[in-house]
Amino acid sequence: MLGSPTIRSAKGEKPMSRPVRFPIFLVLLSMLAFVGLVAAPVAEAQKRIVKIAAKEPDTLDPHASTIGQSQAIYRFMYRGLTRFAIRDGKVTTAEVDPDLAESWTLSPDGTVWTFKLKKGVQFHKGFGELTAQDVKFSFERQINRTPGTRFGVNLEVIKAIEVVDPYTVQIALKAFDPIFLLRMVGYQQGYIVSKKAVEKLGDQFKWNPVGTGPFYFERNSPREKLTLKAFDKYHAGRPQIDEVQWFDVPEDATKLIGLEKGTFDLLYPEAVTADFADQVKKMGSVIDRRGPGGQERFYINMTKAPFDDIRVRKAFMHAIDRNAIKETMYPAGLARLASSCVPPGYFGHLPMKFPEHNAELAKKLLAEAGHPNGITIKNYFISKSFFYPKVLTLAQEQLKQAGINVELQVVEHATYHENIRKNLNPFVLYGGTRLPDADPWLSLFFDSKEIPDSATGNKGSNFAHYRAMDDLLVAGRVERDVKKRAAIYAEAQKRLERDLVCLPISDVPGQWARNPKRVSTPFDAEYGEFSLHYSYNYPELLKVLN
Amino acid sequence: MLQYVLRRLLVAVPMLLGAMSIVFFAMRVLPGDPCVAMMGDQATTEALADCTRNLGLSRPLVVQYVDYLWRSIRFDFGTSFRQGYPVSEYIGRMFPHTFVLVVSSAFVAALVGIPVGIVSALKRRNPLVDYPLRILALLGLSMPVFWLGILLLIVFSLRLDLFPLIGGGDLDGVLAMLGSGEVFSQPRDFLAAIADVLHHLALPALALGFTLAATVSRLSRSAMLEVISQDYIRTARAKGQGERAVVYKHAFRNMMVPLLTIIGLFVAVALTGTVLTETVFTRPGLGKMLVDAIGARDYPLAQGAITVFTMTIIFVNLVVDMLYAVVDPRITYR
Repeated sequence: MLGSPTIRSAKGEKPMSRPVRFPIFLVLLSMLAFVGLVAAPVAEAQKRIVKIAAKEPDTLDPHASTIGQSQAIYRFMYRGLTRFAIRDGKVTTAEVDPDLAESWTLSPDGTVWTFKLKKGVQFHKGFGELTAQDVKFSFERQINRTPGTRFGVNLEVIKAIEVVDPYTVQIALKAFDPIFLLRMVGYQQGYIVSKKAVEKLGDQFKWNPVGTGPFYFERNSPREKLTLKAFDKYHAGRPQIDEVQWFDVPEDATKLIGLEKGTFDLLYPEAVTADFADQVKKMGSVIDRRGPGGQERFYINMTKAPFDDIRVRKAFMHAIDRNAIKETMYPAGLARLASSCVPPGYFGHLPMKFPEHNAELAKKLLAEAGHPNGITIKNYFISKSFFYPKVLTLAQEQLKQAGINVELQVVEHATYHENIRKNLNPFVLYGGTRLPDADPWLSLFFDSKEIPDSATGNKGSNFAHYRAMDDLLVAGRVERDVKKRAAIYAEAQKRLERDLVCLPISDVPGQWARNPKRVSTPFDAEYGEFSLHYSYNYPELLKVLN
Repeated sequence: MLQYVLRRLLVAVPMLLGAMSIVFFAMRVLPGDPCVAMMGDQATTEALADCTRNLGLSRPLVVQYVDYLWRSIRFDFGTSFRQGYPVSEYIGRMFPHTFVLVVSSAFVAALVGIPVGIVSALKRRNPLVDYPLRILALLGLSMPVFWLGILLLIVFSLRLDLFPLIGGGDLDGVLAMLGSGEVFSQPRDFLAAIADVLHHLALPALALGFTLAATVSRLSRSAMLEVISQDYIRTARAKGQGERAVVYKHAFRNMMVPLLTIIGLFVAVALTGTVLTETVFTRPGLGKMLVDAIGARDYPLAQGAITVFTMTIIFVNLVVDMLYAVVDPRITYR
């Protein structure tokens, strides 16, 4: 048979001339182990280095990634025209200050913004001074949907961008946009990249980033670490830290051991549990909590039986003990009980009322709705990652007490996202962070254009299939009076309260663990900053203490 | 012999093609969209449509398949969806890390497993020796590599501070020095780089090697038991040869044939073991990369990694078959 060795007659047998000698192997191994053990790691020069344990970013092009670790590292390297303001020693997401822009004006009709750029702002690696061309290029590459860019949709309000002179750029909008300055913040679509660098490097830009931030990219050892260095010509002054080493550490257990051992100074954990927080505290480290963070909430598909009956939706909400879930998942200060479908810290937030936990009342409502024996939901899909399985298991037990039986199928995270967009779950558990304003938030989750539909290929995230807010969303986008805008979103939240399609559970802050003996931040550990997808708005203000 | 090798290589082509086709279709049958996986909760309808088009996933499946095979023939596995690296280059950087881990853990496994198996077989009637060794083997079989890994890290890295917590050492530096000839001009640097790699390798190799050693010891034990009951062993003893000579000269070499067969399979087991080992010890490598790629539905990266895994296993099995002749001179190839 092809490929099979054949055996020769036993006559050919010869005595073994060179027997394998284990002692030799043992000696060899001992030598190798000795060499390995005695080789002390080469001491790093006396540089002020911050070592961060996180996951590896997927790209260093700031317009091309939505995942947490990538967005966290971008703030080290890039900046935008505006930045979140520091007020009374705290960073707020409610106001913006100039960053790369020196000042701006808005035309009387509210559609033309003119930005004056700061002079002398330098790009990394000798790519020259920031000019209006770079601003125009940074936004247009996203608006034109350059392959790989992700945030063009957030800049669709722009009609045209004109370079008036090297330090002046005029941006004409299709209509007044109440959150335009928020869109210009150094975050996602707001980051300014070097036109020259992108054009010169092409696809290579993903791993050869050039921005104007306080640190520049030096090198990447895939699946191991990235190194950033302090940018001497940073427009707001060189950072105190000389070098940032960003290690790819997927396991939280390893991160904790590293924090205790001193291998790492800052951790970006996958999930902060009570146990994680306890361990951090025991080793004398702190957790920097940053609002508004993400919100974990349920959306109920109001078009899918039996939840098309508002009594069943109300029964669902009565069945869920939000506080119990929050306290189990995030005891004490690890998170806050969510108070609205628009999280606090977002413009337009208004505390809402939700049905109190009452399993008996839930049963009664189900009976009234024609389900005296309760209801059973088969093949309910849930992601096996992040907070999803834990929250759903807790909810499953509570729903069962009220006669709502949910048969769970745990799937990969990607499968979960796919299935919820095929409307396979009658209610959907979801989390997320957006620009801190009610408009982008509500537009994404309650605009009828975002109703997912397999037939049309729409993969939006209006999981409630809600259609009763479109008029308010349109009105909010053109309203220039701040108070009137707030009133519009207050009305939107009242409608959600009325229609019972959204049940928020926990507002979970962004949380990093920090060794305070090694690294300091000027902002309070407890909500000293509001930030988005990254914990430190100003990494240049971090300081190495010894 | 050469003819045999060529024949085996020819057979490997359809095998490789089959494996590549399976992984191509399996990745696409798997629920979950790469764009949704990439964008998570920020996936808007329009962004998803853009992403699908940009990644070439809106093309008919057959077109994607033919394109994939055509590129693969030229060792072009495409570009990683997530990170944008050319897959071949990415694998080229990860492979040496996984290779040294597999080789060193195999070394540990053989060094621990074979002697334990032999002693356990020879002293099977002595419960004071056999039982502890069997318990040791059972421990190795029951201890998951990630648990043992974390234990080793806590003891030897955190408490005793003898080994580094993360990383794979300066393997890139070692390879660069080998490539540039600096190994001869700067032997001290080269040795320092080797020491650094070994320093980082010790705990992962021990963790993976020890769990694999359990399997090796069980197999060695049964192979040795079979061999020592053979007539020629009795004859050797009857001729008055000492027990040491009987074991080393006659029994050991004969038990290597069944053991070698296992080594082929062992490579597959070790490669899968690298997935957890690389994750716990935060080492760069193919195993961790593959799992991340599957989770992220990064088709090109997963396809490329599995192709390399398949090629490695085919190659190792071929080498093992060649080694039969070295170990047992009765074996020839036609």
